Order: sequence, then C-alpha cells, then structure tokens
Amino acid sequence: MADWQIDLIKVVFIWTWALLIAVVMTWVERRASAMMQDRVGPNRAGPFGLLQPLADGIKLFTKEDIIPKRARKILFILGPPLFAIPAFSTYAVVPFGDKIVIGGKEIILQVSDVNIGFLYILALSAIAVYGMVIGGWASNSKYSILGGLRATAQLISYEIPMGLALLTIVLLYGTFSLREIVLQQQGTFLGVLPNWGFFKQPLGFIIFLVAAYAEANRVPFDLPECESELVTGYHTEYGSMRLGLYLFGEYVNLGTLAAVTVSLFFGGWGLPYIDMSKFLGPISYGIASFLVFFVKQAFFLFLFVWVRWTVPRFRYDQLMGLGWKALIPLGLINLFITALLVQLTV
Amino acid sequence: MDYYFIIFAIMAVGAGIFTITAKDALPSALGLLTVFVALAALYLHLHAPLIAIFQISIYAGAILVLVVFVIMLLITPDEKLGTPQKNISYRTLGAILGAYLIVLLVIGIKGIEQLMVHRGLPDDFGHPSQIGTLFFKKYILHFEMASVLLLVALIAAIYLAKKKV
Repeated sequence: MADWQIDLIKVVFIWTWALLIAVVMTWVERRASAMMQDRVGPNRAGPFGLLQPLADGIKLFTKEDIIPKRARKILFILGPPLFAIPAFSTYAVVPFGDKIVIGGKEIILQVSDVNIGFLYILALSAIAVYGMVIGGWASNSKYSILGGLRATAQLISYEIPMGLALLTIVLLYGTFSLREIVLQQQGTFLGVLPNWGFFKQPLGFIIFLVAAYAEANRVPFDLPECESELVTGYHTEYGSMRLGLYLFGEYVNLGTLAAVTVSLFFGGWGLPYIDMSKFLGPISYGIASFLVFFVKQAFFLFLFVWVRWTVPRFRYDQLMGLGWKALIPLGLINLFITALLVQLTV
Repeated sequence: MDYYFIIFAIMAVGAGIFTITAKDALPSALGLLTVFVALAALYLHLHAPLIAIFQISIYAGAILVLVVFVIMLLITPDEKLGTPQKNISYRTLGAILGAYLIVLLVIGIKGIEQLMVHRGLPDDFGHPSQIGTLFFKKYILHFEMASVLLLVALIAAIYLAKKKV
C-alpha cells in the first residue's frame, strides 16, 4: 500500500470512530443522567435503549427544515457546519495508539505527526467560536444574539488559562509534537508514580480541565445556551438536522477534548508500570494501545456527563470572575514555578 | 506557475475587497477572517508553520473575536452600515494615503528580480525552537522593546478604564 492510502484509511477510521463516539455519547448522556436522578431513561428502542440515537437521528432528519423569514439565509446555513468542522479536524494530530506493524510496514497510529500539533489544537479551538457566533447572529433573534455574545466573551476568556496550562506542558516536555509528549510520559518517576503529566503538573491539569469545560460549553459553563434564561441560546431558531449538527458537534468536541486531555496529562496509549510491547505481538500491540487510549478517553467522556448532572450552572459574572480573577493568575503562577523548576533541574 | 500561491493570493485579495465593501457588519468581519485564513495558508507555503498557526490563533481567534463581540453588542442583523464617507477632505486624504502605499509597494516590487533566486533552506527552518532561539538570542532587544510597548498600552488601558475618583 502506498503512504497516501494508509493516510486515507487512518483519516476515515478516526473520523468514523469520532462519529461513533458522539452517537453513543448521546445515549450515555441520557442513560447516565437518568441513573443519577433515579429515573429509567430511554429504554424502548433496542436493548437498553441503545438504538435511541438512531431513532433521534431519523426524527431530526425527517422534520421540516425551517429557516426563519428574517434570518440571514446564507449565514444561517453556514453556522452548523462551521461549528462541527473544527471539532473533527482536531483529531488529525491526536495520537490514538502507538504503532502497528502490518505486512512488515510500521504504521504510526496518528493521522499526522506534525511538529506544531500542539499549536494546531489551540488554533482550532480558537476558531470554533465562529460557528456559534454566526448561527446566533444570523438567526436575528434576541435570544440567539445574546447566546452568541456570551459565547464570544466566554471562549476568549477561557482560551487564555487553557493556553497557560498547555504552555507548562510544553515547558515540561520541550516539544510541540503530541506523539513525542506521549512517548515521554511512559515509565515512572520518583520510583512509584507513572510519568504522566497529571502527576508532574496537577495544577496545570485542573486549570486545563476547567477551561476545557468552558470551551465545550458544558454545564456548569453552558451560559451560551442556558435554558432558564435564553431558551437555548445561539441555536434557539434552529430545527431539524441543522440543530442536530449543533448538538452532534458538541459531542464530537467532547470526544476531542477528552482525547487531548488523555494525550497531554494521562500518558496517551501507555499503561502505567507495564510495557505492553514486550509481550504482545506487533499487531495485537497496536490494537491494545488503541484500546488503552480509548478506555482513558471514555473515562473523561463520562466525567463530562458526571459533572453536567452534578454541578449547578454558574452565573455569568461568576463565570467571568472565575476565568479572569482565579484561573489566569493561577495559570501564570503555575507557569512561573514550572519554568523555574525546569530551569533548575536541566 | 505557482498555483497554490495564486489561489490563496486571489482568495486573500478578494476577501479583502469584500471586507471593505460589504454593507453588513458581520459578513464584513467574516471576510476579514477569510483574509487571515488565506494568509495563514500562504505562510504554510513559505515553510513557516508557526507563523501560520499564530496568524490563525491570534488574529482570527482573539482579535477578530473581539471585533465580532462588539458587532454582536452594537449592530443587529437588520441594520446596514452607513453610507460611505461624504466629507471631501477625508476622501482626499484617503486617496493620498492610498496612493502613497501603492507607490511604496511598487518601489518594493522593483527590487524583486534580485530576490527571486532559489535558495536551499536550513534544516530546521520555521521550526518553533529555531524561532525561539532567534527571539531570545539575536533579537532579544527588539523582543523586550515590543513587550515594554505592550505593557505601556496595557497600563494606559487600565488607566482609561478605571473609575474616576
């Protein structure tokens, strides 16, 4: 097989996988929330209601596609795809496994190992806001515009602590390549702890996680779509599959953020204390590393759901206060200490 | 012919013209976004991926988002932007400034013949670490000057925004 064919297979595989995760997540969200609130949840379509996402999809596709009369048509149509595309594109640099040897050819389980993969993630998360803004503005409705307005202010505020937390990781590992960052996290330090970013950079991890929740518009930071004040915020006027794309894009986004968290702070595909490549064959090692990565990712996906149904929503001024007065100073201090430590130990 | 360059150059110039002629505020801002993306693509073509990413994350991701924020705050979709500048002295000044810039551009292009030689690039050209080394070794003075300037702007902004006592 030529290289471009392998690349194509990797792209198709990881996008299909991302879609599948998003589909299953809509089911997990509803079942888990039901579990936490002592309800039953959707259990009619298929075993355990597993076919519920399919039923939802059919429903959304067959509904009438309404574009409000006073909406700006082109921008209104452009909004949902612009929201979903950046979330998908981030997967291009996430290493979802170590490597697999098929027919004597070593294949790295990552679509593209670029040396600026890290900054690529930051750049994409920065432009993800346009989908919400365009949708909100084009709808020409008060709720939508307020939702879009909140989205811009919120995302730009939480970009900074996220960037600061990520910078500490770059300082620690001295590279922008995600694959190398994961490789450096294998093994242990101080004798017992796994060599994970989480243990070396606990404060950075907390800042990153909070900022990630804000970037993904999840409760407790879902102010752009806050039902109790704004109906559903920026996508109030949307219906049928356009709304579906917004909701779906959010779950793809969650999958991406979980994958990035795992790669940066939890050792990516590696198991702590155990070197799988020693006792597994080349093919089974590739599959096992992918599965390990997926299990870790699944945990963070579940954490998103867990937090959503546990924590109440912030008020908007509290959200801004947390971002600017708590997370940014903390991030700066953390960056300063990390830089000092790295300088002293190198 | 360098088709990659031509496609994105046309994209940048076209989007730029759209930005200054659009009657609606948000589409105009989106035109500017397209300019930034096209420029980033051109930087990639010039083997400067770091600059390309900064172009996207700083200009498109931060500065333009602020512009969009103000648009969302002040202008509803039904509002059209006002008519072009009627004041004759402003228009003359604008024409003079524009002509001046075009002359500068032409002077710059005249020397381009000498520049168009193919040179091999150093091994890690455009790599983040190389840019970091240049910043903190060779151009440290310029770098610090820029940060002092930004600090001055920051202090001024805080002074202007603070409550009068």
